[in-house]
Amino acid sequence: MNTTQKAAAVVFEKVSKAFGSVVAVNEVSLTVEPGTLVTLLGPSGCGKTTTLRLIAGLEMPTAGKIFIAGRDVSLLPATDRDVSMVFQSYALFPHMTVLENVSYGLRVSGMKKKQAGEKAEAVLAQVNMPGYGARLPSELSGGQQQRVAVARALVLEPQVLLFDEPLSNLDAKLRRQVRQDIRELQQNLGLTTVYVTHDQAEALAVSDSIIVMRNAEIAQKGSPRDLYEKPEDIFVADFIGDANVVKAEIVRIDGEQAIVRVGVIEIPLPHRGLTPGEVDLAIRPESVQLSNGAAGDALAGEVLKATYLGGHIEYTVATPVGELFVIDPRVHMMFSPGGTVGVSFAERGVTLVHP
Amino acid sequence: MRTAPASAFGRLWQNERFLSLALVTPALLTIGALFLYPLGFSVISAFSVEDSGFGIANFTKAFDFYSNDILFTVIIVGISTVLIGAFAIAIGGYLTMGESPLAVSILKWLYRWPLFIPFIVAGQMMRTFLAKNGLMNNMIVGAGLLDPSQTTSFLDWRGIVITFVWKQTPFVALLVAGAMASLDRSTIEAARNLGAGRIRILAQIIVPQVRPTIVVGLILSFVVMMSVLSVPLMINAQNPTMLTVDMAFRINTYGDYGVANALGFISYAMTGFVAWIYLRQGVRQGGAP
Ligand SMILES: Nc1ncnc2c1ncn2[C@@H]1O[C@H](COP(=O)(O)OP(=O)(O)OP(=O)(O)O)[C@@H](O)[C@H]1O
Ligand SMILES: [Mg+2]
Repeated sequence: MNTTQKAAAVVFEKVSKAFGSVVAVNEVSLTVEPGTLVTLLGPSGCGKTTTLRLIAGLEMPTAGKIFIAGRDVSLLPATDRDVSMVFQSYALFPHMTVLENVSYGLRVSGMKKKQAGEKAEAVLAQVNMPGYGARLPSELSGGQQQRVAVARALVLEPQVLLFDEPLSNLDAKLRRQVRQDIRELQQNLGLTTVYVTHDQAEALAVSDSIIVMRNAEIAQKGSPRDLYEKPEDIFVADFIGDANVVKAEIVRIDGEQAIVRVGVIEIPLPHRGLTPGEVDLAIRPESVQLSNGAAGDALAGEVLKATYLGGHIEYTVATPVGELFVIDPRVHMMFSPGGTVGVSFAERGVTLVHP
Repeated sequence: MRTAPASAFGRLWQNERFLSLALVTPALLTIGALFLYPLGFSVISAFSVEDSGFGIANFTKAFDFYSNDILFTVIIVGISTVLIGAFAIAIGGYLTMGESPLAVSILKWLYRWPLFIPFIVAGQMMRTFLAKNGLMNNMIVGAGLLDPSQTTSFLDWRGIVITFVWKQTPFVALLVAGAMASLDRSTIEAARNLGAGRIRILAQIIVPQVRPTIVVGLILSFVVMMSVLSVPLMINAQNPTMLTVDMAFRINTYGDYGVANALGFISYAMTGFVAWIYLRQGVRQGGAP
């Protein structure tokens, strides 16, 4: 182990956690590379928080092994792990000032009051909260409390930093700002970070890599781009961004490619292990291309609804393969409802998915 | 002139004021008749002197005869209060942070029992338990820890303290454990995450957040212990003893209400002092006690 480089890898080997008969995390294996930000994304109750608490040591696994920086910490209590967590509710100590909150971890580890205070001041400045040390948490706004919670976690220079839905108590505008701040801080400090959210836009914006969870298991992991453009199955396609899922047919396999027939058109796509026969196709709304009239290599569509949204136009188009939701950035031209259009597909954002 | 809505509003307001007065009047009258009147009466009686009207003769006498007992009472109740606080915090802390669910539920079930046992019964139990050849010493001797000749009776100040602590700890623990249970658990987890151990979390995170409840519980306990007659009477009515015993003695033996009321007044003053400490703390914390 290199001791100057603090960032550590987190590795799960078939980790399970059951609460009585409820299995919250089921045989999850994952790796968080040192210095990267990984997001756990998934619907409510899928086991994100439990996974995070397993890393922090606030829950103990019922099976499997957890490694931090190569060391087996599966049974190490929270107190002894070099992991800091920012709680969803911030969990600031209400009876302590901001400075006492931030320096608490340092004081626990035996640092002198003066030195701990100075270090806490420095970290408060880092999160843009200089001079707030003497206030009580109840005297801060939600965004300020969130910063203090981040400072309290950062001050210990942990091997791993954990966030449990850190933005859920902030308004939409502040959320965008704070998530950028968190990402910037994480990259500047090169911290290994695990970030829980159920907001896919947030996940796409901040992550090096995303782990999508479903029913206590990992549905898919990969870079934001991979997940968006090549979702494995309908669940992931639907959970990350909007997707039109239509029935199609693999006509034949040609090396890595499958020739897929959608209505009257045929497109080549990576086959992803699927065999000829009926399949599901996920199409991103911005990967549907509309053209004037029905050309030869396009589906015939009828515009049902058109909504101008400033930056883009949203259409609902009826086609032989079903209704498609379409996002078109060409705001200067608008197809009117009732009109006939040609519908074709872009190269990116169209993918075969497992059912 | 006033507009119609304003006068309607004014009438409503007056109605409501009348209603609220009507609601509190019975309570006020009850307090007046059952508490303030006897209190005033006993205060007057404490400051009355037989032939020359008002004076502090009763107090001089009370201090002459019973200054040891006053001190004894303060010390006994003080020690008991501190111990009750410590045990209540320990019980509440274990119920909040205990590792073993079985131990937690057993403790939860057990600790409240003394609440349902009257003081007089508790005193009686302690007599048989703490005597020189009582149950406790028998067990110690049986375990081979002491020789029968080495055992002593605990039926002195220690017996009173043990009985008070045994009887009053559940009451304070009940309040304190409730307050601890309603704390935001994530502050406890955050402290663990920052490396704090259990004892430190109890002392630095939990207790400061439930301090008002602890203080209320201890003051209520203090007041109860100041006024218990049965326990000192049964366990230790020799010299020195508690003020309640002296008051009963003054009245029953001499019919001396003056000195008894003076001793009562001294008790009020002590509880009043404790209550004042509490109120001052409430104000400093910005209101809601
Ligand atoms: N302490 C517990 N006791 C019993 N069941 C629990 C406990 N904690 C979590 N669970 C269960 O485990 C499952 C996963 O919970 P978890 O909190 O990890 O979900 P989550 O993905 O964080 O959801 P959310 O987005 O709503 O926060 C849920 O079914 C939940 O009811
Ligand atoms: Mg959660």
